[in-house]
Amino acid sequence: MLPRFRIGGGTVAVEGAPAANAIQIQVQGLTKRYGDVKAVDGIDFEVRAGEIFSLLGPNGAGKTTTVEILEGLRNPTGGTARVLGVDVNDSYAKIRARVGVLPQDFDPFDRLRPREAIAYWATLFNRRITKTEVADLIETVGLTARANAYAMHLSGGEKRRLGIALALVGRPDLVFLDEPTTGLDPGARRDLWELIRSLKREGKTVVLTTHYLEEAEKLADHVAIMNKGKIVARGTPDGLIQNHGRGTTVVLAGAGADGHRALAARGIPASLDGNDVVVHVAAAADVRSMLAKVAAIEVPLTEIYTKRDTLEDVFLRVVGARMREGVLAE
Amino acid sequence: MRRVIADLIAFGRQYMRSRIGAFFAFAFPVILILLFGAIFSGQGSTKIPLYVQDLDDTPTSRAYLGALNNTTVIEYERIPGNEVILTYIRENSINTALRIPAGFEDNVTRAAAGDPTAAVNVTLYGDPTLTTYGIAAAAVSGAATQMNFGLAGARAVIGMDTATVSQEQLKFIDFFLPGMIGFTVLTNALFAMTPTAAEYRTRKYFKFLATTTLKKGEWLLSKVLFYTIIMSISALIIMSVSALVWGGKMTLTPGSIALTIAFIAAGCFEFTSLGMALGIYAKDVETASAVANAIGFPMMFLGGTFFQIESMPPIIQGLATAMPLTYLNEGLRATMIFGNDGKALFYLGVTLVLGFVFFLIPAKLLSWKSK
Repeated sequence: MLPRFRIGGGTVAVEGAPAANAIQIQVQGLTKRYGDVKAVDGIDFEVRAGEIFSLLGPNGAGKTTTVEILEGLRNPTGGTARVLGVDVNDSYAKIRARVGVLPQDFDPFDRLRPREAIAYWATLFNRRITKTEVADLIETVGLTARANAYAMHLSGGEKRRLGIALALVGRPDLVFLDEPTTGLDPGARRDLWELIRSLKREGKTVVLTTHYLEEAEKLADHVAIMNKGKIVARGTPDGLIQNHGRGTTVVLAGAGADGHRALAARGIPASLDGNDVVVHVAAAADVRSMLAKVAAIEVPLTEIYTKRDTLEDVFLRVVGARMREGVLAE
Repeated sequence: MRRVIADLIAFGRQYMRSRIGAFFAFAFPVILILLFGAIFSGQGSTKIPLYVQDLDDTPTSRAYLGALNNTTVIEYERIPGNEVILTYIRENSINTALRIPAGFEDNVTRAAAGDPTAAVNVTLYGDPTLTTYGIAAAAVSGAATQMNFGLAGARAVIGMDTATVSQEQLKFIDFFLPGMIGFTVLTNALFAMTPTAAEYRTRKYFKFLATTTLKKGEWLLSKVLFYTIIMSISALIIMSVSALVWGGKMTLTPGSIALTIAFIAAGCFEFTSLGMALGIYAKDVETASAVANAIGFPMMFLGGTFFQIESMPPIIQGLATAMPLTYLNEGLRATMIFGNDGKALFYLGVTLVLGFVFFLIPAKLLSWKSK
């Protein structure tokens, strides 16, 4: 998809936007308490211009509370949070027009059409918007065919797309997308991923909260995994996988117990996973030689393939539980 | 101001597209004015039907009935002389009936000849709690008095002239019209705004609006402006229907027109603010509607919309003074009917003060931020 709705002339040199790599969000010791409960417990992170930063975690981890503090919608209990150079406690009004927000529970006005809602929202950001610009934005989010439908008749995915259009209509430097794909079918989710990637190409800074590990892995430049109000791991997806994962796994599909014995005889540590034999290789540099070794055993098997650890494996390791639809499963 | 207008237009689109809003703003008041106009505006006969059983059926009894007819408030119909009157009344669901006994003329003739023992009573059947009974009783008594004067050779010395206090003779529709405008302002502004504010809170529209540069006061202002525009149009329609269909009259001086518009704006300000104040605390939209009804309905009946406050019992009159709608209705009546702009200005002041108090509640306490 080629976005036609552009903030400025290029992908990074955006009018009024900070220089690439400038710090857009700086959070230090941020805390939010509700009575005795610490929803956010002394977290620190930074988000730089032009990147997609993902806050990842199960429901109740504190993601939305953190994001709403950064959106100026909640007051923190402690710590500091600066957004676009402004302390969120003091002068958010100064940067309000430079921040676009898709709330977690975005619900459009039932009886407004997307083109009307976009024109309305543009005015609320003090923007004069032409019909052509409205049409361009509607095309960018893939709603052209539904531009004249009442919002109450849009599907879940279409409503999210409208929400993203409203988040973008003020030409923001910084966009918060709070669980934008929750509840969507896989096709709609992938369409939205492409749209989010296009925001990065436009030079926008995106803060994405999600409980979909695959989503964060595919979209984010940096990830912070939250659990129980704390950030339990932080880094690039690759860095997290490297630091917290077990490297690469070589799988001998269908090799069975014979394959396991054959590898043991050669001094290669392996384990049985059903009828497959799996071998963990810690260093990426050793994968090629290990493949050569396991390929040499003369045992019937279906295939040999490698797989890398994913963020899901990292999540399991740092949180101690798997996550399904935002809920810790085990 | 651009943000206020944009919010007003967006809100207006949704309001009109809901159709329910449009119905209560334009169609419902017209239906009411047509309905109440048909009931009270003198269409058809205004005479009270009185069923008469004339057991005497003589020139004298017929003369008495003629005197009854001359009162102009009675239109009598006959009950056959062979019917048992109480049975006839019950079987025909008659409210008021009169029986002239046999010997009526004989007694009258003897009295005229100087017989001091001659006397005769006509009997009025009916329910004394009904207004129509009171009117019939007055007419029957009046006709009897008139005949008694004639028999005694006397004449009425003390009489009564009538004069209207307004510039033109008032009809019920003239009284009803300002109340109808006040009622429409109340129902639309209060009954619509309370659940709307609750919906904005429960569906988190307030939070979403907080992510824009729109200010809370601008949002409140746009709602007040919207209802003022809608209610002004509605009032124009109501007045046109009243004038064209029922011949309703109102004072049409520049001052009165300006005051009427000012009252509509002040009423919208007052009840929109009250609706917001109630809506932001309601648990959900259904609760908000129930709260609006609980407050609005008593106000509707006690605020002088349908009945004159002066005709209510003293304790209810006391309650009426506590109803914000009372000042809107009385103010509209003062300027629209009596052209009493001084009194209207006082009521306008009261309405504005109450509106300001109600406005302060959501303006101060409505938070677009989460806790």
